[in-house]
Amino acid sequence: MTSARVRAELITVTVNGVPHEAAVPGRLLLADFLRDRLGLTGTHDGCAHGTCGACTVLVDGDAVRSCLMFAAQVDGSHITTIEGVSPDGELTPVQQAFQDNHGMQCGFCTPGIVCSLTGLLARDPAPSEEAIMDTLNGHLCRCTGYQNIVKAARQAAGRPVEGSAPESIGQGSDR
Amino acid sequence: MTATPPVAARPKYVGGAVKRREDPRLLLGRGRYVADIHLAGTVHMAIVRSPHAHARITSVDTSRASAAPGVLAVLTWDDIRDQAGPIPCIDVYPDSIPVLQTALADGVVRYVGQPVAVLVATTEYGAEDALSLVDVQYEQLPAVLDLDGATAGDVLLHPEHGTNVVTTIAQDVGDVDAAFATADHVYEETFTIHRYLPVPMETRGVVAEVDPITERLTLTTSTQFPHLVRGFLAGVLGMPESRIRVVAPDVGGGFGAKCEFYCEEILAPLLALRLRRPVKWVEDRREHMIASSHAREQKHTVRVAVTGDGTVTAVDARSWTNNGAAYCTLATTPASISSAMLRGPYRIPHYRARAHSVVTNKTPLAVYRGAGHPQAVLVMERMMDIIAADLGRDRVELRLQNMLTPEELPSDRGTAIVLAGQVVYDTGDYGYCLRRAAEMIGLSPSWAAEQEAARAEGRYLGIGVASLVEETAIGPYESAVVRVDSAGKVTVLTGSSPHGQGHVTTFSQLVADELEIDLDDITVLHGDTDVVVDGVGTFASRSAAIGGAAARRAAGVVKDKALQVAAHLLEIDVADLEWRDGAAVVRGMPDRSLSLGELAVAATAWNAPLPGGMAWNLEATYQHQAAGIAFSNATHAAKVAVDVETGQVEVLDYVVVHDCGTVINPTIVDGQVHGGVAQGLGGTFFEEAGYDADGQPQALNLQDYLMPTAGDMPWIRTDHMQSPTPLNPYGMKGAGEGGATGAPGALVNALQDALASFGVTLASDGPWTPERVLALIPAEVDQR
Repeated sequence: MTSARVRAELITVTVNGVPHEAAVPGRLLLADFLRDRLGLTGTHDGCAHGTCGACTVLVDGDAVRSCLMFAAQVDGSHITTIEGVSPDGELTPVQQAFQDNHGMQCGFCTPGIVCSLTGLLARDPAPSEEAIMDTLNGHLCRCTGYQNIVKAARQAAGRPVEGSAPESIGQGSDR
Repeated sequence: MTATPPVAARPKYVGGAVKRREDPRLLLGRGRYVADIHLAGTVHMAIVRSPHAHARITSVDTSRASAAPGVLAVLTWDDIRDQAGPIPCIDVYPDSIPVLQTALADGVVRYVGQPVAVLVATTEYGAEDALSLVDVQYEQLPAVLDLDGATAGDVLLHPEHGTNVVTTIAQDVGDVDAAFATADHVYEETFTIHRYLPVPMETRGVVAEVDPITERLTLTTSTQFPHLVRGFLAGVLGMPESRIRVVAPDVGGGFGAKCEFYCEEILAPLLALRLRRPVKWVEDRREHMIASSHAREQKHTVRVAVTGDGTVTAVDARSWTNNGAAYCTLATTPASISSAMLRGPYRIPHYRARAHSVVTNKTPLAVYRGAGHPQAVLVMERMMDIIAADLGRDRVELRLQNMLTPEELPSDRGTAIVLAGQVVYDTGDYGYCLRRAAEMIGLSPSWAAEQEAARAEGRYLGIGVASLVEETAIGPYESAVVRVDSAGKVTVLTGSSPHGQGHVTTFSQLVADELEIDLDDITVLHGDTDVVVDGVGTFASRSAAIGGAAARRAAGVVKDKALQVAAHLLEIDVADLEWRDGAAVVRGMPDRSLSLGELAVAATAWNAPLPGGMAWNLEATYQHQAAGIAFSNATHAAKVAVDVETGQVEVLDYVVVHDCGTVINPTIVDGQVHGGVAQGLGGTFFEEAGYDADGQPQALNLQDYLMPTAGDMPWIRTDHMQSPTPLNPYGMKGAGEGGATGAPGALVNALQDALASFGVTLASDGPWTPERVLALIPAEVDQR
């Protein structure tokens, strides 16, 4: 981006239902494209190396870390960011579950988690406890200690919210 | 007597699990954190940081970087030394040796990550690119990283001072030597507390801009205390405070890391003033791990005197805090709190502490949720278990025997905490919390047999408890303004600026109850020094108790004034009025009333003068001053299972019985407890900011620095008791830090309990990684 010598790729991408054409330098991260070019700042950059999950968006329905993709890779894709999860500005059941269960504090990690759960529930409206924990284990939150996020996810999935997860779920995940 | 049916009391918000008012905006992706701010004409700042732990800068050549496309400025210390004073430290002791950091290194770098030069370019990517073009030459110096080495003084960070021990704090209570002379048992242990980090999910960031009309500087920064930043910046730049506006927008967590004034908060304003363009910097995660404040690292050596019946009579303690390379804004607070609070809930009439702050070639260390409390709790609670085991006493009974009872409170502990004042425990029933937590976790007389039976099956179970008393709600004060507009809507301004705590909700609850109005009629504003002119900030579990009390008292003053205005308008005595449902009502004539909005209109300038020269408008400013420290208390209890083949520790159950005085919102208090426990659990089992022998940091991203995920957490069960403090009219104490304070002690004691049959004595807070746990287990067990 520092000079005109950097080659740009022309992409066509639909973001939250709106088609965009853009010339993007090869190294422009999808997260930066969404935030800086399109002004969709609800996608947050918490680590820029794919660990924290705050930048998660849905690309053709799949939850992806937008800090690990280049904008040039999403040519032809349909992307949903947190701003597009609820186009009419009313809380979706997933979002409402976070407020109902105090599943958020500072709110920085929340959009990524909401996107992941929205993607999960679109694929599987009644996910198992294992599927929920698999999804949540892909996100870091430093405020809540996760318990109320688990409750929110269970509510959104139509499961009872209280009580610990069955043993062996999640423990020692990839560590 | 004829019974009149009672008027249905208006439901109170305080004490209710009110859903957070701030959530919908954040859930819809409409939050506005520093990185989300894009001002027209913004240029981007990047920092050249030291790659060495200790080195002399022999030359800096900025010519190549300056010539790079899009680069607008490259500055070194020589360029700004006349314009920027050092970063202030506000918690120094009178005899502290001043080891202050400058915004850019002044000739010598003392930790990896220290800012050496700064540049600005037209794009963020371009600024990053240009960093490698700044040519800095170093002459490496020997580095000292550990407390023992630094205390020995072979390598000095500041040779002119002749020592690396920069502050020594003394706490002296009773006659320690006499108590040891008459003790039946003396126990001595040394505990190490490792370095770990707050790691908010949002890193730090700043945007600085100069208003072309007023020439005032606006610094938008991810901070816990915008008002203090305004004062620090004015002092460092030599500018009048009136020319500085500081804004804390949405802040994505802080935990102490943003309770600091940083180099970048000086550099961006300097560059904005120089370039007359908005200057933006957002810390990347790698920078955060080395350039934002570190935490916790201490060593404690304690001697404990005990009489034959198990009475702990004296503690003689020495501690060393690894402060890293320089003082932070809050530098001695961890050592001060650890030394002042080591005895926790126990009587221990004789106490001596010497707490040393030591500089080393690591990132500067400051406060992190709990500050010095978690270390103190770990040390004291490990000692109580060690003593109980040696004397063959039940660990709960031994604790109860030594615990202050409610009848003994208030209790002047004879110690003091820097900035906060004398330690005088106010209220609480520490024994209740301990007994209840022990009962909830299953620490019954049959536990030992249960544990033995499990062990016979190869399952190593342990239960640990940790009781704590913590300093909360420190002063000196917090500000509030409550204002009623002509529509009867209420605006609350608070100087306490939140970063996830839910101030908008809890402060609304307090004000709504005081004025008997609906939550939706209240707007809470914070985080902008032009909107809220005076304030202190959010730290030390102070917001609800100090800021909340200020808001409610300001509302009370408004209510009193509204009653005066009503009396004037109705031409009756104010004593004939009462306040009900947001209106002044004539006693006995419920139909005759004036609403808050009507009274606000009457008090505005286009109406008749108010009586007795009363100030116009329904508005009040209140500064709630802390008359003392409010002390919350809790007992944590954990049950763990250790896999002796892998060293993996699973937390099976976790209980917190917590007392933070009057609870405004139990859901929010639980959330605070959960989050704190997760951070304590992370520090105990996963998180470590390690260094290699050369002083290179080993945790540079969130893959090296493991934090708990959802699957790592036990289901936390909480129980609350409420012992209101007399220090504010509403009884609130602080709830923000207890979770992090109690977790390491409870978890390490549980691990100790699980491994006790191997004859180990744990004398460290961890992190108890599988490798380290495995090292405690005899090989023959491992290979069963």
